[in-house]
Amino acid sequence: MWGQGKTSKQTKSFDVRFCGSIKLLYRHSAPKSQDMAYIDELISALGKERVLLDPSEKFVYGADWSPRTPDEFVPPDVVVLPRTTRDVQRIVKIAYNHEVPVTAGGGLTGMLGGAVPIYGGIYIDTTTMNSIVEVDQKNQTIRVQAGATLQEVNDAVQPYDLWLPHQPESKWVSTVGAAIACDNDSTFGVRYGKILSCLLSAEIVTGTGEILELGHRKAHFTSSGYKLKDLLAGSEGTIGVITEATLKLEPIPATRRIDMLVFPRMGAAVDYLSRLLKAGLCIEAAHINCKRRLKFYTHSYKQKFGKDPEIPAWAEALLAIAFAGDSEVVEAQRNYALKIAKDFEAQLVEERDIVDAWWASKYTLDFEPFKQKWPDSQKQKKFGAADPGVPVGRLEEFYHKFIQVAEKHNLEIIGMNAYLEHPNSIGFSLSCAVFVDYRNPDEVKRFREFHDELSKLAVAFEGTMSTFMSDTYQKAPYLELEHGASLKYMKDLKKLFDPKGILNPGKKFPREDGPS
Amino acid sequence: MNRLEEFKYELETCFGTSCGFCERGCPVYQTMKVKTLCMKGRNRTMLGLIQGKFEITPAVVQAAFECTLCGNCDRWCSLKNTEHTRAFREYLLRHGVEPIKEHSSIVASIKNYGNPWFQPRSARNRWTKGLDIPKATPGKQEIVFFAGCTSAVTKQLNRSLVASAKLLKKAGVEFATLGQDEPCCGSTLLRVGQSEAFKDLAAGNVKKFKSLGVKKIITACPGCYVTLKKTMEDAGAKIEVVHISKEIAKLVREGKLKLNKSTERMTYHDPCHLGRLGGVFDEPREIVRAAANFVEMPNNRYESRCCGAGAGLQSAFPKLSKDLAAKRVAEAKATGATTIVTSCPFCETQLRTVPGTKVVDLMELLLDAVEGNGRNNNSKKAP
Repeated sequence: MWGQGKTSKQTKSFDVRFCGSIKLLYRHSAPKSQDMAYIDELISALGKERVLLDPSEKFVYGADWSPRTPDEFVPPDVVVLPRTTRDVQRIVKIAYNHEVPVTAGGGLTGMLGGAVPIYGGIYIDTTTMNSIVEVDQKNQTIRVQAGATLQEVNDAVQPYDLWLPHQPESKWVSTVGAAIACDNDSTFGVRYGKILSCLLSAEIVTGTGEILELGHRKAHFTSSGYKLKDLLAGSEGTIGVITEATLKLEPIPATRRIDMLVFPRMGAAVDYLSRLLKAGLCIEAAHINCKRRLKFYTHSYKQKFGKDPEIPAWAEALLAIAFAGDSEVVEAQRNYALKIAKDFEAQLVEERDIVDAWWASKYTLDFEPFKQKWPDSQKQKKFGAADPGVPVGRLEEFYHKFIQVAEKHNLEIIGMNAYLEHPNSIGFSLSCAVFVDYRNPDEVKRFREFHDELSKLAVAFEGTMSTFMSDTYQKAPYLELEHGASLKYMKDLKKLFDPKGILNPGKKFPREDGPS
Repeated sequence: MNRLEEFKYELETCFGTSCGFCERGCPVYQTMKVKTLCMKGRNRTMLGLIQGKFEITPAVVQAAFECTLCGNCDRWCSLKNTEHTRAFREYLLRHGVEPIKEHSSIVASIKNYGNPWFQPRSARNRWTKGLDIPKATPGKQEIVFFAGCTSAVTKQLNRSLVASAKLLKKAGVEFATLGQDEPCCGSTLLRVGQSEAFKDLAAGNVKKFKSLGVKKIITACPGCYVTLKKTMEDAGAKIEVVHISKEIAKLVREGKLKLNKSTERMTYHDPCHLGRLGGVFDEPREIVRAAANFVEMPNNRYESRCCGAGAGLQSAFPKLSKDLAAKRVAEAKATGATTIVTSCPFCETQLRTVPGTKVVDLMELLLDAVEGNGRNNNSKKAP
């Protein structure tokens, strides 16, 4: 019977409403090794309902959005559901005392395994901490618990005519804490930057269980001290569990115009954007897609018309660009931008359905009822990407390398998207995407090799390995390539926050290299 | 191959994508905040189960049954998530899991009394008293008004049926009822994983309506609407199934009913079966607009939030079910509406469990407006 630690298939008579107590009996009756004693302490600290131990429950928390085979789950030993920073502190202190790994996660939509608990231990589901602590309309800030989704933040501040412009495609699920820890991408980066540009202050629990506030309260910037808060962006929970954040908000623009232009070369689109910035235009969003990539974003177009959008044969790059603000300003900027476009052999995409389909995919998520692009476009193979960054003048050169590397590894190419993610500059994140037949272990292996090769190539291009997915375990073995001797200082820094190396071990540094 | 295995490819697709779009509108997940209780987690649980990663445990059963099958997850996904969940429930029952006590009672009651609520068959006659509605006999009528178990045998819900019948008559629709011979549509059986029992019942229902020579079934119950519609379609029976709001809205649109419009601010709650699953959104709104000062809730139509009554949640998990109702009522109240209009006996009963909530059936609202009572003075109180 349940509660006696047996798993006979004949004994499944129970009342599910009393699962909590039955599960507890089951847990307590399970063989208990010495090193699992910390679980009793977690139950004492949080209550049994907020400690998940059933194999099926743990299984659910054992994978994110990264390409992996369907049987590749890495479940934690226990999942905990905290409500407050104090809860997180209790959890981390128990982990510290027992030297148990602690991995904090949000929506589990990471694309490279950042929040997957590869060494087991405790998984902290921060989504149970999603309260809005304070909306300060006058100072245009919000204080939230780290488990609030980016959409929940925007739902809370929209009545005040404010918004948080950090907007990845996963905004409905991506949490504030995860957005910071992963340093993910944003559709509006060219105007507002990414999450770090919005982050004024953050509360963390360090690897010893100490609660720290990092940042400058509601001031937009500081020249005081070291900017420890900035360490959190892309930290992957390796120096602290983010529990709360104060974020800078922006007024919601009254109007927005989105257009798409086609260019004969990717480099021409880069030159055009450079010219627009020189002209003094305030671009809200700018994304350069290669021709192949557009098809991935126009699922709703295909739904509507039963075919892919037609792009001129000569066009190699598509630039999606948005201006936002008061309508007169927007119109003036847009008109000027379109006027200049002629100097760059660009042509405006007149078919609005193409533009709308792309925008639905990138931002509004307003798909046909009962349809949306991700599962529907990924029934056979799933999306997988490398996320390097290269100098602005070498985009086109790197694009060709990406195609070569993908072909070498025999992967179906989705294409490249260069998102401008740095305020008022052409700095871009590159999403070099391929389809991965994740049911084929060999193809998953080839994808990982492709990812590594492109990451390393980006460094050789005087760029960076990662611009929106962070390092995770994937890049950990070769991080020195990017950081050289400074890697030692990074390890020492982690040790300062996490002396026993319990916070998300195996991420950024292989576990044996990090503190132990 | 069991039905869950049939969905393996879809379960792997969900695993491969893992977008989690299903989380945002899932009423159970948003209340419980446990990932096993949203569709992404539930799909993973099913996948793990058929991969043999773990055996059936109480938590697995909880993941299967703590869901209202409201279909909100399907809104954001091209996978057939609610079908997966139904298959999950069937799988568990076939693999030795005993049905939840309340669900067993429902099944037994349908078998013995022809309704899920242990009421005698004669209770179905109660609402028709004094209305002079003919009883269906072979070849004598083309249209049947199907009352549905819950409204028919629950005294407090009879008024909506009376209003429906009166409005149909005013509109000149000639119809009959089945009286105490009206069968259960089997919706509840389907939702709690009793597919075999449902198949038998559905086959009997098709036979019954065919033998009566019925061409059209009008019903006021959304659960009956989607279930009978699918039953007739699957059987290839040429019997049209229509929700009453579609039939009556036509008359409102054509100006065949004279209305005394109320100034009261009212909102409309989309029943999941009628809206998301049945595709009927506009007609109920037309009626409310015609009869009162209509205001929309933020989550409406496809994005409407479930009241928490469906798929056996109300009977087996009453606290969670009430929490869901409270959330929906709070959303309605935030619009400034003083009354929630709906068109489902389950939603009506469920939303009324929240203290201080005024809920009115769509047909009752319309009949009041037609008979000139209106609701201007807010005099009619919720029971």
